[in-house]
Amino acid sequence: MATEEALSNGNETDWSDRYYHIDQILDKPGPRTDPSFLAGEEVKRFLRETCKILVIGAGGLGCEILANLALSGFKDIHVIDMDTIDISNLNRQFLFRPKDVGKSKAIVAAEFIMNRVPGVKVTPYFGRIQDKDEEYYMQFNLVICGLDSVEARRWINATLVHMVDPDEPESLKPLIDGGTEGFKGQARVILPTVTSCYECSLDMLNKQTAFPICTIANTPRLPEHCIEWASVLEWPRVFKDKKMDTDDPEHIGWLYKTASSRAKEFKIEGVTWSLTQGVVKNIIPAIASTNAIIAASCCNEAFKIATSSAAYLNNYFMLIGTDGVYSFTFEHQKRDDCPVCGGQAITVNVSKEWTLERLIEMLVEKQDVQIKKPSLATPKRQLYFQAPPQLEELTRPNLEKTLSELVDDGEYITVTASSLPFDLTLQVKYD
Amino acid sequence: MSAVSESQDIEQATAAIQPPDNKTRRYDRQLRLWAASGQNALEASSVLVLSSSATLTAVLKNLVLPGIGHFTILDSAVASPADAGNNFFLAGPSSIGKPRAQEATSLLRELNDSVEGEAILKDVGEYLKTDEGRAFISSFSLVITHNLRKDTLDELSRFLWAGFNNPPLMVVRSAGFLAEFFIQYHEQCVAQPHTDENVPSLRIVRPFPALTKWASELDLDSLDPTEHGHVPFVIILVKAVGEWKDSHDGKLPSTMPERKEFKEHVVAMRKKIDEENFDEAEAQAWRIWSDPPVPNAVQSLLTLTPLTTSMSPNTPNAIFHALLQTLNAFVAAPNGPGCLPLSGALPDMRTDTESYVKLQTAYKERAAFEKARFKELLKEGFPALAPTIDGEEIDTFVKNAHHVRVLRGQRWSEWDADKEALASSLSSSPRETATHLALSALSTILNKTPDGSTVTVEALRTEVQKLVGEGVELPEEIGSAIGELARAPTADLPNTAAFLGGMVAQEAIKVITKQYVPVNGYCVIDMVDMWTGTICG
Ligand SMILES: [Zn+2]
Repeated sequence: MATEEALSNGNETDWSDRYYHIDQILDKPGPRTDPSFLAGEEVKRFLRETCKILVIGAGGLGCEILANLALSGFKDIHVIDMDTIDISNLNRQFLFRPKDVGKSKAIVAAEFIMNRVPGVKVTPYFGRIQDKDEEYYMQFNLVICGLDSVEARRWINATLVHMVDPDEPESLKPLIDGGTEGFKGQARVILPTVTSCYECSLDMLNKQTAFPICTIANTPRLPEHCIEWASVLEWPRVFKDKKMDTDDPEHIGWLYKTASSRAKEFKIEGVTWSLTQGVVKNIIPAIASTNAIIAASCCNEAFKIATSSAAYLNNYFMLIGTDGVYSFTFEHQKRDDCPVCGGQAITVNVSKEWTLERLIEMLVEKQDVQIKKPSLATPKRQLYFQAPPQLEELTRPNLEKTLSELVDDGEYITVTASSLPFDLTLQVKYD
Repeated sequence: MSAVSESQDIEQATAAIQPPDNKTRRYDRQLRLWAASGQNALEASSVLVLSSSATLTAVLKNLVLPGIGHFTILDSAVASPADAGNNFFLAGPSSIGKPRAQEATSLLRELNDSVEGEAILKDVGEYLKTDEGRAFISSFSLVITHNLRKDTLDELSRFLWAGFNNPPLMVVRSAGFLAEFFIQYHEQCVAQPHTDENVPSLRIVRPFPALTKWASELDLDSLDPTEHGHVPFVIILVKAVGEWKDSHDGKLPSTMPERKEFKEHVVAMRKKIDEENFDEAEAQAWRIWSDPPVPNAVQSLLTLTPLTTSMSPNTPNAIFHALLQTLNAFVAAPNGPGCLPLSGALPDMRTDTESYVKLQTAYKERAAFEKARFKELLKEGFPALAPTIDGEEIDTFVKNAHHVRVLRGQRWSEWDADKEALASSLSSSPRETATHLALSALSTILNKTPDGSTVTVEALRTEVQKLVGEGVELPEEIGSAIGELARAPTADLPNTAAFLGGMVAQEAIKVITKQYVPVNGYCVIDMVDMWTGTICG
């Protein structure tokens, strides 16, 4: 047990007045602070000596998050990122320099923080979040997510919801999630099983523009149509199974050239390198300032939750910075039929005449489901399986059958997909 | 040809194509937001900040990364142990005792080789009292302060406000979880707002000759089913409007039943139930009743009196006002279209390639024709100024004519002298106004005792009451705000600093690039309940 005197210094790397600013908050409550706040040494000790926090993503948001947490007094920080540094990161990912291009984001970021902010331990993991199991995630008090991938967020969200054991309060890990796009962004606090979760709000995501294949193949009008033609139709035709690498300038160069000649043939203007790259990589514009705002909101919530020094966000903060500063703070509601935290099946109203294939297409399109390559089964039979190949072949004939041949009214269908760590249950109701 | 031999060809096939240079690659994600024109404006800008607090270094970080031209930190302070604890752009305890601005400048410059940065170790208050200092401060594109002493800030804001050519001033104040910022400017002219509330007109109700010709020569009945399913919705609507007008005394559908009838007429024109181009025409019919010659917001700008009579190229916004006045002349010209010039942009629509390209060409040609008319009028109206205007600036203006914006501002703290306005704002936006008043009260108290030792809830309440006037009842939001300030009167929290760093840099970028719309008024921030709001806008 540390003595009071040692505590006032925190540990040996803390200098007197290091936390002059933060301690003004931690030494006394404000008018809106919960009475459970333990002002003074106890809360400082928890924050600086006990609290363990996980940061997922060391990119645009992640770099900001790590710096803010370190200055806020979190001293045991872990960070996971599977990416390496690209030159296009340098306009905002401020812990990286040109010499770092090609290196692991997690490792470079961790080293930078430890150099700049003495006494903070940052443990990097250069890999995928899916590599880690529940035991790993159980060690943290809080998780902050600064990712650009919907799939990874769905995975960590489902994992943390699944980990909650009502008899073990410690098993509930608050998840703070941030995201940005250009001048817009959002930050939210998810208390798994208590508040709405990431999956509950899936329908709030912007729908990606998908061009109909017939437009791409037959009636191109925009430069984007020519680029899609090059990447979706021409690349597999010319290169067969060779995988397209959108980070390879030669591959982008080929797509650019192929799209340009198609555009020329159809007298369409506007195919550029930048547009080609934007379309095939689905690039989302990103700037330092928006990331700074959203990362700061996330870390502020982490600080408030870890210390109870002020109420935390309930539960969604949305920012639009294009026309002045417009923001909206609201409580996003939990969905009873959320496949992750709701427990109720999703009801789908369909026509008896639909084929199984049409139902699958609907699931892929549906905003609140967004599932890629789903496999479907009822308790009685396998409807369609994506893999293994034998099973796929065996169930393929079902695709053309009408639903009424396969599923009774009111029957449940279990939907699985390799990209999701949970099963969806649908209840089919015929119109 | 086999996949293998083709894949070997990829190198040859792309040999002549040069990927973008390193600078373009580095800035790729932001060029998608503000393009080369915005980037050039950033690179030509120079920003002065009047402290190296955690908040202002966070602001600078977000300006150095996207590549402003130059920054200067004017700050005589020596880094304290507290600074070394909350500022990411100081090197921890090794910076303690060294000039704060110098330490921060070197760490900020590491972020981007192409940005110049300098530290000037002078006291702002004293420097402002010299001619040299005032000339220096006013030589920047933008000046930003954070928690600057109230009397110095007052002097600075009056000085910068007095000269129409002086740079805008961004005033940032924060303590603990509460903050606000204000941009002092006479006028901001936004040539590219990037807002999507107004779409450019497609001229369906005021068709130009090529559209009229196409629509009138089109005999829908004679088309084969494929052609019929590919007639662009614009042409369908031009034709339908023509037919409607012929049978309605030349009037457009205006009442709800008429609009419904018009849509039914469009639907009846189709041959098959699944013709998507006709569905699109029905869905786009709103363009017919939402297409004024000039949108309301722009109409009021056409006759806006410039703030200064000088129309020299060096006068801020002189060119923009010349363009606005030319726009007015264009709309009024008897031989013109009687509306804003055509933007030339055409949305995607259900049609075949040939029809789309033909339609796009027609729009581009017409837009070029009208822009040429616009330029003639510009030359007539402003013979001296016109030759100095960059062609690209005119292109951008004409393309965005349907939503250009002009914001007019006021001097920092002028609003605080208007007791009536404060009281009314306090009842309409209590939490934002309460936080603003509490921060004003705090800076009054800190002006006398900068260490915060005299800041109490009672002292703050007394100052707030003075601001709004005795007798005005203070809402409970005042209590929430002053309580937080009394708790942490001098705290520059890392997260609040980082949040402001993002917000203020974002607004600075808007002001510098004249793209996107900056804040007008006081943007107030509460990081306890996590909200932002703008008052006095
Ligand atoms: Zn949920």
